[in-house]
Amino acid sequence: MKILKQLLILLLICFAGEGIALLLPFAFPSSVISMLLLFALLLTRAVKLRQIGDVTDFLSRNMAFFFIPAGVEILENYKPVADKILPLLCVLVLTTVITFAVTAGAAGLTLWLQGKLGGKKA
Amino acid sequence: MSAWTDSYLFGIVLSIAAFALGVWLNKKTRLPLFNPLLLAVVAVILALQLLRIPLDNYRKGAQFISAFLGPATAALAVSIYNQRKVLRQYFAPVLVGCLAGSVASMVSAYALCKAFGLSDELAATMLPKSVTTPIAMAVSEALGGIAPVTVAAVILTGILGAMTAPLMVKLFHVKDPVVQGVAIGACSHAIGTTKAMEMGEVQGAMSSIAIGVAGLVTVLISLFL
Repeated sequence: MKILKQLLILLLICFAGEGIALLLPFAFPSSVISMLLLFALLLTRAVKLRQIGDVTDFLSRNMAFFFIPAGVEILENYKPVADKILPLLCVLVLTTVITFAVTAGAAGLTLWLQGKLGGKKA
Repeated sequence: MSAWTDSYLFGIVLSIAAFALGVWLNKKTRLPLFNPLLLAVVAVILALQLLRIPLDNYRKGAQFISAFLGPATAALAVSIYNQRKVLRQYFAPVLVGCLAGSVASMVSAYALCKAFGLSDELAATMLPKSVTTPIAMAVSEALGGIAPVTVAAVILTGILGAMTAPLMVKLFHVKDPVVQGVAIGACSHAIGTTKAMEMGEVQGAMSSIAIGVAGLVTVLISLFL
């Protein structure tokens, strides 16, 4: 019953997130709304860690598993990309390096400024 | 074969078996390219193709697994909540880093796709590839991309990030563990985070926070595209 109760709480939050997504005037992923909702509930202690911890632990630790069906769908969608593999791989590699460099630069600079201004050295 | 596999259990059994195989092979070889998810997807596709099992038979059970994508994403809130002390201390660098990184990722993906002469559909497919799968899928769909191809791009990006993170840290002289973690999480989400965790506790924590923040920033920006 413990797991079922935890599952009930988490799924209720996600179900609520789906409802909120329908009410929004723009397309916003319901999974992200549920994530924010759960975060807010945890911060306000409306939901306690022990009330959902086992289920969220299981989901987080096996996160990759739940993406298998989405990945398998490539079977029916490889046609538009079949002859574009090489340029797509180039885009993939270049953007990954660019994203790393820009994030590191911006975060590093902010951390340095924070240290300078606040004196609270990291 | 087709009648037997036309069962709700078939897709679930095949997925779990494929994932167990992927995890086992990954542990045995310790090769970053042998990512459990990548191996599992390849194993399922091979099984379906070799045994001539219709994709619809697989989908019958697989839809129950996909139903947990939302809850699995929501569960990220717990890991961010567990890191709330670190997050409070480094809130500004995480936010600024993820904001700049997400913009750079989306702009560079779109610009490079266009530079290589790829279609708008493929550009929309590649645009959200640096963030975690459920968010990337949702953004890709909303922008008119091909979601399953986005999933493949996200996985490959993650694997690439996990493989090259130590190299990029050296290349760009990133010495601070906080900055290392944020950069790894922002460019290669959960798969990159596995590498960040190997590099250190601070890197791992910052990287997992960056998954959520970069994902959120990417969704928010995509609303204006």
